[in-house]
Amino acid sequence: MKNSKTVLALAYSVGSAIFTACSTSPAPVVLQATTYSNLPADPAKSFDPMNGAPIGKTGKFTFFNFSTNSIVSNADSATTKWDVGFNGLTIIVNSGTSGPGNASALIQSGIFENLKTAPDAGYKTDNISNKAELYSQSGSSNLAIPTTAGNGWYSYNSSTHVISATAGKVIFVKTAAGKYAKVEILNYYKDAPASPSMTSLPDYYTFAFVFQPNGSKSF
Amino acid sequence: MRLILIILLLPVLCYAQSTDTLITKKLEEVVVTATRNERALAALPMPVTLINKSQIKTMGSLRLNDVLAEQSGLAVVPQVNGVGNGLQLQGFDPGYTLILVDGEPLIGRNTGSLELSRISVGNIKQVEIVKGPCSSLYGSEALAGVVNIITSRPQGTRGNLSARYGTFNTLDLSGDASVQKNKLGIFVFANRYATDGYNLSTAPHGQTVSPFSNYTGNTKLVYKFNPKTEVSISARGFQESQQLSFDVVASPTDKIFTTGQAQLSDWNINPVVTHRFSSRLKTVVRFYSTHYKSQTNLSIPASNSAYYHDDFGQSFTRPEVNAEYFMNQKNILTLGVGTIFESVQTSRYGDESQRKQQTSYAFFQHEWLPIENFQLITGGRYDRNSVYGSQFSPKLSSLWRITRSITLKGSFGVGFKSPDFRQLYLNFNNSAAGGYSVLGTEIVADRLNQLESQGLITTYLFDPNRIGKLQAESSRAFNFGANFSPVQKLSVDVNFFRNDIDNLIETQIVAITTSNRNIYSYRNLHRVFTQGLEANIGYPIFKHINATVGYQLLYAKDKDVLNQIKGGMIYSRDPVTYATTQLSSADYFGLFNRSRHMGNFKIFYNHKEKGIEGSVRVIYRGKYGAGSLQGNIQGISPPVTDTNGNGILDRYDNFVSGYFLINLSAAKTFKQKFRMQAGIDNLLDHKEPQYIPNLPGRIIYFSINYSFSKKQTQ
Repeated sequence: MKNSKTVLALAYSVGSAIFTACSTSPAPVVLQATTYSNLPADPAKSFDPMNGAPIGKTGKFTFFNFSTNSIVSNADSATTKWDVGFNGLTIIVNSGTSGPGNASALIQSGIFENLKTAPDAGYKTDNISNKAELYSQSGSSNLAIPTTAGNGWYSYNSSTHVISATAGKVIFVKTAAGKYAKVEILNYYKDAPASPSMTSLPDYYTFAFVFQPNGSKSF
Repeated sequence: MRLILIILLLPVLCYAQSTDTLITKKLEEVVVTATRNERALAALPMPVTLINKSQIKTMGSLRLNDVLAEQSGLAVVPQVNGVGNGLQLQGFDPGYTLILVDGEPLIGRNTGSLELSRISVGNIKQVEIVKGPCSSLYGSEALAGVVNIITSRPQGTRGNLSARYGTFNTLDLSGDASVQKNKLGIFVFANRYATDGYNLSTAPHGQTVSPFSNYTGNTKLVYKFNPKTEVSISARGFQESQQLSFDVVASPTDKIFTTGQAQLSDWNINPVVTHRFSSRLKTVVRFYSTHYKSQTNLSIPASNSAYYHDDFGQSFTRPEVNAEYFMNQKNILTLGVGTIFESVQTSRYGDESQRKQQTSYAFFQHEWLPIENFQLITGGRYDRNSVYGSQFSPKLSSLWRITRSITLKGSFGVGFKSPDFRQLYLNFNNSAAGGYSVLGTEIVADRLNQLESQGLITTYLFDPNRIGKLQAESSRAFNFGANFSPVQKLSVDVNFFRNDIDNLIETQIVAITTSNRNIYSYRNLHRVFTQGLEANIGYPIFKHINATVGYQLLYAKDKDVLNQIKGGMIYSRDPVTYATTQLSSADYFGLFNRSRHMGNFKIFYNHKEKGIEGSVRVIYRGKYGAGSLQGNIQGISPPVTDTNGNGILDRYDNFVSGYFLINLSAAKTFKQKFRMQAGIDNLLDHKEPQYIPNLPGRIIYFSINYSFSKKQTQ
């Protein structure tokens, strides 16, 4: 697991920095886009060498907090210490049926760097009354970040069985603490291979995010 | 009968009198596929390609894929599972062209399309290719077009023996004989083809194509009771066995070395009674029946245990009656009715019980020749299937000979492809990496309920209630073409085509099980179009030398993708730098596996008196995106060419670069009996191991042939 920080001094932030500097406000924060690599989302410990069935899956989510840029212990699942959780292809937010918090999320199409303002409305919380309703795309009961292939953050190739994180899908998250973050999933395989194949290890998320600590919707 | 032929050929005959050799030659060229009746090639209003026996012989071809790969507008591409040879026509995938032998369909579409190398060309009289939908005459699968292989009939007393040996230890032995006496004629053909196969991969075990051998037998018996009544019975048998050995990718971390055998066979029998009630009315009654079987067994040598078993059996029986009625000099009517009985029995459907379906159909065709230089063909067919419902496929085509040197042709037709057994009943579990199950639409609900009640479903990824009954895939197609002959002997054919295809059936992921297996089913999903133009120019440069140039321009795109691009929904992200850009329509290349440009340039030399023939054929296939081949049988999946996370082929993706194949052949016949031939296919030894598994590299071959014939009085 490693954190590589890419400092993207966003034009917008720099611009506002110059203006706000004149009005003697507190020094503005230059927001950084952070890339988090190899977040394990309940990967298999090994595989059955005969039929490929994964062995050693726990069924537990890996929780993540954007403000601290770190994984939250699974023991804290019933707290508001985490914002989002990952297990396989499912991403949950800390709210509704998933957790005690008020986190919510939505997916918007666009270019990560260019989407500089989080939308005002449209955020959803997790609300799964039963498993069978996960697929219900129009129903009121759903996950904030849909699991459906092609409808959420990834697409699935039925010939090669490769999961590709779809380009241009930006997830806006209102965190458990009421702050905003924008996230783009970049890869679903260990060490983010540029061209994943059947021999790539799945359930390792690489994603980019920007966290806005001041509570505003601007990035 | 002679009178009728003259009437039919009238528009053409007028020009034949101008002693133009090309047209005279075209007059002799008669095809049956386009109208189900014998018609002069030049008098047909739709695009038809004819490849005759002498051309096939000069090319030195052995199997059908060799012949088709060199034709304008056709590409021989790996099948959906990444192995073998399927036919791409006007940008359609291999499953959308109907392959017939003497007008009857070959079955055994293992992965949805027919393996072309199953067909030996030794007994072929000619190959007819009709482009554009032909469902109005042939029903399902004739969406892109029809390839009809016309086999030899008994003709005089003659015989032929040939042997060809070449690279990869490939040995082909062929023999045929024909006897004709009074009213009886018999033709027999036998072929054995064996090869060591070839290897393009660096995998430690196995080959890209494992060693295999096959046998083909074919016989045709014709008995003429009287000038009005003829009975013929033809039968064909084919058997192939292949030795397998390769590593199965069982999981991202495990490979299993397996060995085994694959076997397949098919046979058919086709009794046909032809009776002419009068010079105006001809009726044909046929009862075609064919059976296909394949079996694959793999075991693990290390533990001496069975690993995989697969068997598949299919049968197809079709009684049909059709009639051709010459109402008068201006109107010809063709009518037909029939019923198809199909069944499949396979381990892939979870049990070995037999699945059946039945299709009853009726078709009509009206050929109207109101004036000398104009004709209009109207036709249609109604199919009623026991599983997916009914389908009507009309077709309208017209030809107008404006001047001696300009002929215009146009046709509009509707084609369809019914959901196949696989899409309805499949219950397939693959235990290789990323293990998955595919469930046909007729059984998916039951199976999911079962899994759900056992608590084995982790997540649904698609509402199973939205997987309903599959509908037939359908297309509407326009072909508009012209033939120019600006100077004598020069012939220029141009054809524009546009196919709009709806309801394409695609796999749909539905759920994930607790053991992390993905479950798929099928849905009518995409709408695509293919359009472009094909041009062919033929010119005899010198007395014995004929040169042809062929070209196809193709645009094949997904309409839903185009809409998404318009809506600003599709982006491209560099897999390394993660820089993302929004795609515009111009960035979208189109469907995978289609080349925008394909072409060929061929020179055929044939000096009958000297007994010398030769050919130089240059085939070009332009760049294309390889899409998602499932990999060859070794389980090695090539990297997907779509690398930037949008699932479509755009200009930022990797492409398979365009390439040329150069094929040469030369032959000399001695005393009209002995023929020796040598040739080189793929002279430049072009190879693309990951993306073109069906291109083995340079092949050198020699063949000898002995033929004899007795002057026939008859």
